[in-house]
Amino acid sequence: MKLYNVKLLTITCEILAQKNIIEILSKHEITGYTTYEVDGNGARGIRGQGLKTEKNVKVEVILREEKLPDVVEEISRTLFADFAIILYVSDVGILRTEKF
Amino acid sequence: MDILQLIQSNLLTPIILFFLFGIIAARIKSDLKIPEAISEFLPIYLLAAIGLHGGIEMRNTGFENMLIPMLVAIGLSLLFTLNHYQILRRLGKFNIFDSYALASTYGAVGAVTFSVGLSFLKTQGVTSEGYLAAVLAILEPVAFILAIFLTNMAVSKQIRQKKKSFTKDDTSEIDVGLQETKTKLSQVLHESITGKAIVILLGSIIIGYIIGEEGFSSIKIVFDEMFTGAIVIFMIEMGIIAGQRLDDIKKVGIFLIAFAIIMPTFNGIVGVLVATGMGLSLGGAVMFGLLLASASFIAAPAVLRHAIPQAKPSLYITSALGITFPYNIIVLLPIMFSISTLVHNGDGSIDLFNYIIKDWI
Repeated sequence: MKLYNVKLLTITCEILAQKNIIEILSKHEITGYTTYEVDGNGARGIRGQGLKTEKNVKVEVILREEKLPDVVEEISRTLFADFAIILYVSDVGILRTEKF
Repeated sequence: MDILQLIQSNLLTPIILFFLFGIIAARIKSDLKIPEAISEFLPIYLLAAIGLHGGIEMRNTGFENMLIPMLVAIGLSLLFTLNHYQILRRLGKFNIFDSYALASTYGAVGAVTFSVGLSFLKTQGVTSEGYLAAVLAILEPVAFILAIFLTNMAVSKQIRQKKKSFTKDDTSEIDVGLQETKTKLSQVLHESITGKAIVILLGSIIIGYIIGEEGFSSIKIVFDEMFTGAIVIFMIEMGIIAGQRLDDIKKVGIFLIAFAIIMPTFNGIVGVLVATGMGLSLGGAVMFGLLLASASFIAAPAVLRHAIPQAKPSLYITSALGITFPYNIIVLLPIMFSISTLVHNGDGSIDLFNYIIKDWI
């Protein structure tokens, strides 16, 4: 089995920032992503209870390393100041390179 | 005395009691909670019921007399939003983003508050003009659009000034920023008009208008008789959310707490008097006042978080839901009802209205 190295970008953020993130992704021609609603606690207190607009969401994107700096730069420049957001990058291996 | 009695009897209605119960449940950290699907469904149901009633009544009364109240409501909503902004910015010393976000939250309307108002009138045995449901739909985006437009103007002015003073800087990024600001407004406009609240409300008004009283009789049991019961269930949820936020109220500061009580009172009373002057019925004037007094807390975060992300949502959600909403449904509603009764019963109510207006000017 041959694995190819790519990056997994994981963004945990308030649900109202989800649209902005997906817009940024599509601007950088990244069409594939996975999102799911999550609960949690952090700098802005316990999230995920109460109003639907105050939930958190986790966005996972697999992308090639060369696209990563631009995407991360744009997310941090436009969203970090105003939204509850945590972002991290990990190394993952994939089987089919043509999909990413 | 009359008002106090009315507030007292209002306190003991199921709607208010269940709201207070929800607050208590949240305070004792109970795990009581309305299932998510139901709390998402109930606003849609309430808006559908409001719209159907409005549509049926509009069929009976016609559109002609709707235009003036609607235009006046839009005018007042815009005026109040500007007024809120000045107060918050100058007296409250809030930053420009928080000021505009709060100003529009209080200029916008609350559909849940509107539902509670309708049910309050039902308890009092009073009806209101059906076209107010249409006014509710039209007013929903008005204050937001104004605030977002003004915020963007202010931001682009700042950017332009910065651009002048740092011409050596890389300006390409600033141009992109300006462009984004412009597209944001049309996006917000599109989003709020196609948003679920307005779509279901307008759709139900049209359906109500088509089916009329006869067609409604087959669905009456769901959309009329269950209306107050559905609000009661929703009130548990609202109480729980408000209860969870009680601790945050201390953080919003004394100025905003006062603002969240005084502004709705002022707006609501002006609304009742203006509506009476326009010839609306006793109940209609109360609902008109309530439209202007209410603050938006379900639609506001979704719209403002995108359009004015710099504003702190904890400020506008907490003040609208934690302070203004309970105050409106418990205290202000009976006050406006008493005032409306007073100006409608006095002979020559329009003279009284003119008299009071003159007093203010």
